[in-house]
Amino acid sequence: MIQLIHFRNDIKRILRDPIMAMMLIAPLLLLTAFKLMVLLLIPFIYRQTGFDVLPYSQYILAFVLLTSSGMLGIVTGFMMIDERDGNIAELMSVTPLGRSGYLINRLLFASMLSVVYAILTCVVMMPGTLPLLSILFLSVLSAFYAAIIGLLIFSGADDKVKGLTFAKALNALAIFAFADLLPLQWFIVLSWFFPTYWITQLIKSPDSLLVNFFAFAVHAAWLYVLIIRYWRKKS
Amino acid sequence: MRMLNAVWADMHFQMKQGFFLVYVIITIMYLIILSFLPKDILSIALPLIVFSDPSVLGLFFIGGIIMLEKVQGVLMVMVVSPLRTIEYILSKVISLAFISVLAAFVITYFSHYESVNWILLFLATILTSGIFTMSGIMINAGCQTVNQYMLKTIPYMLLFVLPCFSLIGFPYSELFTIVPSVAALRLMLGAYMGIVWYEAFGLVIYLSAMNYLFLRWTMHVFEKKIVYQD
Repeated sequence: MIQLIHFRNDIKRILRDPIMAMMLIAPLLLLTAFKLMVLLLIPFIYRQTGFDVLPYSQYILAFVLLTSSGMLGIVTGFMMIDERDGNIAELMSVTPLGRSGYLINRLLFASMLSVVYAILTCVVMMPGTLPLLSILFLSVLSAFYAAIIGLLIFSGADDKVKGLTFAKALNALAIFAFADLLPLQWFIVLSWFFPTYWITQLIKSPDSLLVNFFAFAVHAAWLYVLIIRYWRKKS
Repeated sequence: MRMLNAVWADMHFQMKQGFFLVYVIITIMYLIILSFLPKDILSIALPLIVFSDPSVLGLFFIGGIIMLEKVQGVLMVMVVSPLRTIEYILSKVISLAFISVLAAFVITYFSHYESVNWILLFLATILTSGIFTMSGIMINAGCQTVNQYMLKTIPYMLLFVLPCFSLIGFPYSELFTIVPSVAALRLMLGAYMGIVWYEAFGLVIYLSAMNYLFLRWTMHVFEKKIVYQD
């Protein structure tokens, strides 16, 4: 019940703060921009250079999914850093909500939004190509990814500037989504350990049980390690 | 001497915050991607990467840097110290431009792209970095959180980035060169693909003038909105 009250208060706070409310719209803007790019820019590039980007649409979908949930994760991470700097996180930990409640509350918000945006992204970017179950599974993994990014920024950064440095470095994780485009075996093997690689694999082979299993396992392992790290770290 | 010390202190801070390490990772990432591109695509991708990432890094980081300094009370100390506003801003611009130039040079050198005009690349990176870092300082005014800052940068980025598409070419598209980011991208492309000397000269003069205007404007906004908070 207390979780629900906090969650409702969070939504109220976000709706009152125009900047935070706009942040909710930012993934939609990103999706619109990429859809327009696919509709307008790709035919233009083809006409001008003869290079067809359409066969790579699965990679584009993976990139939009990762960017949108990553964006929500970054916002959550910085929200938590701000609350730590303002001692709000400390205050929350002595309320009935507790430390775990605070963490669940923060991560759940970004994760739930990621689920909605991921489903929307799959439907808009590649309509009718992915089975419904795979779309739902991708949306769950996007929720995991948002939480992973949020936790990475929060637990890795001592201050705002380090948070920005982390956010910049985390952008580099997207390269693993394109690993199999590069003829580097060692790089592909390295990519196995990163969630971003499995998002692309899942879009490419939605029926493969092995890919589904590893995609879930890698995401869950990252989230588990980060939550344990959060617990062990004294706030 | 005071200015040099300020630049050195900023660079030391950036090193401690891991800016250099992050750019080593990002540079490696770009080099991996660029090494697989065919030559004709590399000639377009390389200047676009150098323009869109290393040159613009100041805009990304400056918001957090100033916000942190505000919280730590550095700005309050600065007001009563001999360091002048212009020196404070220039030291931020120079120290961030240093990372930009370093990353731009390393990415270009290891991409094994022939016929690079290194002097033009240096000037294009420095002048672009200056404009974006100073824009970041101005955007920062009135922001309380990093999330607010990041969101406030979106319209400015659109204002800078969208006109760059004019380089694809359409009737009267040259008029967009008045937008500093378009002029900077034109100069950057010129550093890799070649450019007639008078065009390069004109662009350098124009971008230098824009940097000067941005500096005056940034000083005004910084003192009024950030230091004295209206």
